[in-house]
Amino acid sequence: MNNEKKHKLIRCPICEAVNIDTEGAIQCRRCEENIYPKKNISYNQTIAFLITAIILYFPANLYPILITKQLGVIHESTILGGIMLLWQGGSYPVAIIILVASVFVPLLKFIFIIYLLISTKYNIKSSHMDKHKLFYITEAIGSWSMIDVFVVTILSVLIHFTAVKIIPGSGATAFALMVFFTMLSAHAFDTRLLKK
Amino acid sequence: MKKDELDMLVICKKCHTLHQKIEIHKDTKALCSYCNTVIYRYTSHLSRNTLALSFTTLILLIVTFLFDIMTININGVYKSLNLESLFIVVFGQGYYLVGIMLLFLIVIFPVAILISLILLLTLMHHKKSGYTVKRLLILIAKFHHWSMVDIFFISILVSMVKLFAYAQIELGVSFFSFILLLILDIIVIKKISFNELWILYESIYLKDNKK
Ligand SMILES: [Zn+2]
Ligand SMILES: [Zn+2]
Repeated sequence: MNNEKKHKLIRCPICEAVNIDTEGAIQCRRCEENIYPKKNISYNQTIAFLITAIILYFPANLYPILITKQLGVIHESTILGGIMLLWQGGSYPVAIIILVASVFVPLLKFIFIIYLLISTKYNIKSSHMDKHKLFYITEAIGSWSMIDVFVVTILSVLIHFTAVKIIPGSGATAFALMVFFTMLSAHAFDTRLLKK
Repeated sequence: MKKDELDMLVICKKCHTLHQKIEIHKDTKALCSYCNTVIYRYTSHLSRNTLALSFTTLILLIVTFLFDIMTININGVYKSLNLESLFIVVFGQGYYLVGIMLLFLIVIFPVAILISLILLLTLMHHKKSGYTVKRLLILIAKFHHWSMVDIFFISILVSMVKLFAYAQIELGVSFFSFILLLILDIIVIKKISFNELWILYESIYLKDNKK
């Protein structure tokens, strides 16, 4: 194991080649992609996408994600309502999967990104490697939040009769957008900003 | 620092620890000393095996898209879930945004990634058009995070649990091809060894201008 001190070295996220960090914008020596924009641009992008995602988190959870129309009677259910219904029905594992994927994962991602943003400005006592690991996890868990949107879509395809119909609510659109912006926010984050 | 010296280094994708590369045997992998993540591999017949696997995955993907994933039966009325009914209902109800996201995440990105892989490996085999190969490698690296076939499959399972109480469920051909698809997806897409592909690319196309 070497030290990165002599030259600051960074990893190309596209081709994995090791590059010398020149502090400004960098073009990878192997794949020749512009792999890092200027640091302040990426910082501001991360914040902008994150704020958009946090704003969307509210309609995503408050508006109905699923609407049931049964013989003219309309019943709307939010994400939490759906989870409670599953729990009452005894499907505990599925209720927990949805609770974690739709409610906790987005919240965790917000907290992780905020923590990483703060840790670029202030010295937080935690190792450089742990911060990188946290970032890696943040990127990896992002797509799991899409489960509920997919489930609602699948249900709306199958329960599509004249007497009874399930249609996605506006919460589903807000939710899908929220996941999208959280992923963009994590992608925009420049790991070079993480202090040692 | 010279180019060759940099080539002997590798940074862990998870914890960003810098390592000096050591030689490893065929079909083994090197792990990060700090977090045990795979940092590089040495795959024998890399291009031939990846080509065969991505071709199989593409065929499975097409099969999965063509047939029914499942059919439900509520009091003698049947409804099937397949790619066609999925998009007809979603777009028919005016959920364009969800529909477009779905189209990209489970159809366009996975298909594009697989076709790009097949194309670039074929080009590499014939040692042709290095520029296209390079663009395809970059394209795959950028978009392979956005393929959500696996998440879609979990969603199918969750939907089934929700439907058990109301309907009889019959599994279709696509359900089983989906399972095979997932296994291959984990082997091919999730574990693409970009570093190895780039080294192969350099050895084929950049032989002359190496110092
Ligand atoms: Zn690169
Ligand atoms: Zn590591």
